[in-house]
Amino acid sequence: MRYFSQVLTVTRWEFSRFFKPKNEALGIIIMLAVSTVGYFGGKYAFSDTEQKMEISVVNNLDTTLSDFLNSRYIVKEIPKDEKADFLELIRNQKEGILLESGSEGFVVNAYKNTRAISKLKADLTDYQKQREMKKIGLSQIELATVLSPAQVQESFIYSDNSAKRVVLSYFFAGLMIMVVFLCFAYQFTAITGEKQLKITEQIVSAISPQVWMDGKIYGITLTGLSSMLTYAIMSILGGMLFFQFTGLPASGILDYLSLPSILIYLPFALIGILIWNAILAAIASIITDPNNSAKSSLMMLPIVFVVTSFLVIRDPDSGLALFLSWFPLTSATSMPIRWAITEVDNWQLAGSFLLLVLTFYLLRKLAAKIFRVSILITGKEPTFSEVFRLSKQA
Amino acid sequence: MVDQLKKTVLKVNSISKDFMNVKAVNAISFSVEQGDIYAFLGPNGAGKTTTLRMLLDIIKPDSGSIEWNLNGKQNQVPDAEDIGYLPEERGLYLDVPILKSLVYLATIRGMEKTEAKKSALDWLEKLGLADRAKEKLQVLSKGNQQKIQFVASILHKPAFAILDEPFSGLDPLNQELFIDFIKEINNLGTTILLSAHQMSLVEKIANKLFLINNGQEVYNGSLPGIYQSFGDKIIIELQLETPFSEASFQNLTDAESIDEIDDFRVKITFNLQTNLAKVLHDLAKIEGICDITSHKPDLHDIFLQLLKKK
Repeated sequence: MRYFSQVLTVTRWEFSRFFKPKNEALGIIIMLAVSTVGYFGGKYAFSDTEQKMEISVVNNLDTTLSDFLNSRYIVKEIPKDEKADFLELIRNQKEGILLESGSEGFVVNAYKNTRAISKLKADLTDYQKQREMKKIGLSQIELATVLSPAQVQESFIYSDNSAKRVVLSYFFAGLMIMVVFLCFAYQFTAITGEKQLKITEQIVSAISPQVWMDGKIYGITLTGLSSMLTYAIMSILGGMLFFQFTGLPASGILDYLSLPSILIYLPFALIGILIWNAILAAIASIITDPNNSAKSSLMMLPIVFVVTSFLVIRDPDSGLALFLSWFPLTSATSMPIRWAITEVDNWQLAGSFLLLVLTFYLLRKLAAKIFRVSILITGKEPTFSEVFRLSKQA
Repeated sequence: MVDQLKKTVLKVNSISKDFMNVKAVNAISFSVEQGDIYAFLGPNGAGKTTTLRMLLDIIKPDSGSIEWNLNGKQNQVPDAEDIGYLPEERGLYLDVPILKSLVYLATIRGMEKTEAKKSALDWLEKLGLADRAKEKLQVLSKGNQQKIQFVASILHKPAFAILDEPFSGLDPLNQELFIDFIKEINNLGTTILLSAHQMSLVEKIANKLFLINNGQEVYNGSLPGIYQSFGDKIIIELQLETPFSEASFQNLTDAESIDEIDDFRVKITFNLQTNLAKVLHDLAKIEGICDITSHKPDLHDIFLQLLKKK
């Protein structure tokens, strides 16, 4: 009972130290402001692309091409003998497009390659397609029939690999890695900071290293999750806003939020975060100065495993995918993704989850042991082998 | 008679601790009784902090045993609520408001939050820092930070407080203040075990002593007892005009020891039975003495004397 009340006290303390509602609110306001500026700025920047573009043509074009171009551009005709002057003008003013048509095809003159040239090339391809269709007497409907894909009726025994489920599993994997990174920063500040401020000895005289380590892991996980909850809500609102602007129904985003999937993904992500927090806490315990420690680079470790876990997408039923979905450092993301794209038995889901929980249980014990032997080492930062040796003695 | 009724709250049986090839603590034993102010004295590196850390299970002894008996609970590791600890290496959360920090440290030792807050405010009032309760610790002066550190270690009203070098880094005024604090909490029922190397300060408050050097016991007993056993001397200190030369003092045949304090100061120890008139007569024959003082041996003198014997 005392263990739980002490862990709860430390958890609350760590959470209140790092979770600052004011800062979170400020972060949201800044994000909203940046998104709004980005959205309207982008709209303004591309507003001219919706208007008809001006091109110049040498006045020897046939009428079909001329009509075609007039329907899509503001066309200005240049007499053939003024071509050289016009090209000089393009060079000097660094703008303008001059199109010529010949027996070999088209010649486009411009100062440099731009998006406008790509659009013009696409339109000229359209024009050529229509011209060739006319030559062989093919109508638009007939062409569409020729180019239409084969009619294939799909019939799968396992057909539950909903794309939305997959997207949601990626979303949770993304959230997990973001929480882990947030927690990493807090964990380092908390543990190395306390070592540098020499608070550690006073605390471990009151509570066991295990209580302290557990409280830190839970408190900082809670802080990371709270921040991520804020960002997740922001993402959903942002997504809905995006749908609204793009003319799609805002409720479309809700289609992705399936409760059964969330009930699978959330516990995996949660234990995954706790596991990484235990590992990061153990690493932070043996770091004296985070600014000068080579061990700080170990912060890349979670991303390596999470990226590796995505290999299940290539062949979710392969031996590698099976391994990744059971291996505790990858299963928190691999198993949900695998479950989303292929058939996974319930016993596998439960087994992988239990292994994940067991790994967390053991890792937090290991972290506390490392912490216990590391707190009293002052001066030179201990090496991994020294910590290992001392842990064995402890 | 009253002393005989006192309960032993800590019993240490022959504990030892090695670090690599260094014997930091070598088979020391002692016991502390309820209400004691027990001083652990010794020079830097003597093994004081290592011993205190073993008592708190921060490090484990290689051999020996530790038995606690606080508030009716007999155990090898004391319960957090029964113990207060002021570590030698001071440190608190500098970026957290003072009151919040104090309340947290008391609650992890099992005190109720409201009670901890009340007790913290009482102490801050006593220290004249009540109006700064919501300020961060980093804005306080070093002396005030030390006071907060002390309060943090005893706020939860422990049955037993371990104070590792409570006087280090304090100016004389604050040293006296801390002596008053220690006496106050002791009067309120907290047994104290403190380590120090400022023997003159310890003399003012301790009733029992453990002298330690190189991890070994030098003396273990009561403060009056040490004076009874080793204080039957008279010490004469001389100030010289010219640098000390041993040859000049050869005629002082009654002297138990002649120690050079520095080039121009000498300390001579005599037995209480020594004929002082003869000593003064002999000293008068030595040239270049510009000042003479005499006193009974203090704790510092006794400690050095015991070290010599060892």
